[in-house]
Amino acid sequence: MKKIRDFINNADIRRFRFWLQLLFFVIFIYGGYFAINLGNSIPVFSCGYDKAVGGMCYFLPLQHQLARPLDVLFSVASISVLIGFVTFLLWFIIFNKAWCGYACPLGTMQDWITGLRKKMGIRYSTYTQPQFDKLKKIKYIMLALVILAPMGVGMGLLGGEWRTAFCEICPGRMITPLFVGDVSQWSLDFSTKTAMILTTLGLIFTGLFLIGSFFKKRFFCFFCPMSAMHYIFSDGALLKLKKEGDKCTKCGDCYNVCDMQIKDIADDVKSTNILRDDCIFCMKCVAACPEDDALHVDILNMKLFTSTKGGFAKRMEMDRLEKKND
Amino acid sequence: MTEHKIETPKERQNRHKAMEAAAVLEKIKHDFKEPPKAMEYFYDLFERVHCKHEALHGDKAKVGTMCIQVPSEIIHALDAVPLRLCNGFYTDDEIGSDLLPSKSCPLVKATVGQFASNNFSDKPDIVISPTTCDQKAKSGAIIENMGFEVYDMEFPRTKESHESREYWRRSVRKFTKDLSQNLNTKLSKKKLKDAIKKVGYAQHLYHKLNILRKNNNSPILGKDMFLVTNAFFFDKIDNWVEAVEALANECEQRVKDEISVASKRSPRIVYTGSPPIFPNLKIPLLIELSDAIIVADETCSSNRMFNDMVSVDEWFVNDMVDSIADRYLKGCTCPIFTKNEDRKRRILDLVRDYKADGVIYQAFAGCQVYEMEQKSVLEAMEKAGVPILYLETDYSPSHLGQLTTRIEAFVESLKNRKRRQ
Repeated sequence: MKKIRDFINNADIRRFRFWLQLLFFVIFIYGGYFAINLGNSIPVFSCGYDKAVGGMCYFLPLQHQLARPLDVLFSVASISVLIGFVTFLLWFIIFNKAWCGYACPLGTMQDWITGLRKKMGIRYSTYTQPQFDKLKKIKYIMLALVILAPMGVGMGLLGGEWRTAFCEICPGRMITPLFVGDVSQWSLDFSTKTAMILTTLGLIFTGLFLIGSFFKKRFFCFFCPMSAMHYIFSDGALLKLKKEGDKCTKCGDCYNVCDMQIKDIADDVKSTNILRDDCIFCMKCVAACPEDDALHVDILNMKLFTSTKGGFAKRMEMDRLEKKND
Repeated sequence: MTEHKIETPKERQNRHKAMEAAAVLEKIKHDFKEPPKAMEYFYDLFERVHCKHEALHGDKAKVGTMCIQVPSEIIHALDAVPLRLCNGFYTDDEIGSDLLPSKSCPLVKATVGQFASNNFSDKPDIVISPTTCDQKAKSGAIIENMGFEVYDMEFPRTKESHESREYWRRSVRKFTKDLSQNLNTKLSKKKLKDAIKKVGYAQHLYHKLNILRKNNNSPILGKDMFLVTNAFFFDKIDNWVEAVEALANECEQRVKDEISVASKRSPRIVYTGSPPIFPNLKIPLLIELSDAIIVADETCSSNRMFNDMVSVDEWFVNDMVDSIADRYLKGCTCPIFTKNEDRKRRILDLVRDYKADGVIYQAFAGCQVYEMEQKSVLEAMEKAGVPILYLETDYSPSHLGQLTTRIEAFVESLKNRKRRQ
């Protein structure tokens, strides 16, 4: 048992993550080719516009469901809406936000773009704290768009083209189908004024997505409404990111490696549940923490992966010294 | 007829310092139960450097540092040697007394005193003075007036805000550029990465050794640990690493063989406050001669120097420099900062982790920040039910009797407490 635990705590999490991300990417983007279908309540951006999708982003069906006329939406006929939501919750509750860091195809794409930047020897940029505090609120506006726009359609306040307003502006709609050779989403819809504006915004956001994530790690995740939706339910999830403030020296190593620039991870020594709304649960902070047990990932209150001095030294290659003659 | 040579002031001073060092070394070597064999290296090193005044670094560029906040990784990466100049000699303290206000901190006085007498076995080519406490910051200018090259490195006095992090990062970037110019050496990605890993490995070894002190049978006494960490001030890092490797292995074996340097009833002490720097190991020696054992410390001459490690996400020069900067600011528990919650948490964590029975808090008379923080730390310890003894000392060899009585009484009370439990 101790051996297994040491193995996990000393593991090179980056490699593990890379392969897991690749696996999920294949399942979600190409799953259709292998007759994989995980349903359409998946809590990540695995885009339903992808013809071979192996499990669909929950937002596409959700928006369609919410766009029903109000009397239908709140009747027995909408039991399927409830089922869809419960399925979403069940998926989510097991892995918490690890969906973002390990499974989301759009997240994985951003990590690949980051990898490309690294290869080119260009350093990343960051936001300043005030910028960060402002930008992080955008995802709640996006979430409001996901929920309110289709309801507006259902109530007859908005035109039908608002039904999937968020999908129209989501970069996933344009980029994901490219992986199965489908370029049909790369067009502007001139049918109505609203559709034109939305698809133009979509094109702009796609451009921003590609450029942004080249310079800023996980650029899009700051604005992701799915991330906001996750956060609402994350307290009930089984997988948890925990911190023991007594053991923290606030050295900031975790903050330094955090793709999402979450300051609390280093500075908050009071919270035990340290998962924040921006968190993508990539566990890089746990891997970068040099204090024994200061940060750990728990499942049902059992430590699954915990920070250790030894694991830190191993991952940073500080546990040995290449002897050189000088 | 024998020839009589008149001793120069420098020779006289060196003789005094050698006597001071030798007396302490004798005590360390012979007044205790057998130390680990690998400690020989350190005893010998201190004798060579402090009694025989041997130079260790030859022609290599030497960068003197006035505080732990100067990033040694960057100095190593620029092919230079960092030399921590914080000084523990009473001889130098007396010289410095003539130059600084009478109520100054003995450590600062001794450091300035050494510059005043210009008596170095390894003389620094440039001195980096971070603006940490008032006395250190101001003594930078005094040293500069003596004709040394001094570089003021700006350091913030708060560390919570985003602004302070940015400020310090900028300060470290500027330092990196300026030092590289000064030494006429270019900083490369590879060299910096190697330096981070080398210092990281030294820290890793320190931790490996330090963790062994958690055992009920501690394999090494605090006075020896202070020597090991003190040696890091000036030793060649490769030699230090090799010696600590051997020491850690031997101590590991000692734990397996259940060899203990203290008795089962010896109270376990966490040491905090003003840094004990060789040869001013007065208080650690008194504690351990009173049958207690120092199992952990929270001082800048030891644990604080090694504890926090650099982590880098992307190995580019800019990111490495920023990561290095954070390690020297964010985790630091120096009392110069406005708040001291981190320090209190740290001491309590050490007490828990190392199963300590009590805390001894030393403040140098004249070290205002440690003196001012005393009350809040005492309150925090009282609240947590941890016995604590506060001592005010300086470098002079007097007052030993009084200190011994107080320490012995404290140790005795801890023993009684232990017995009752």
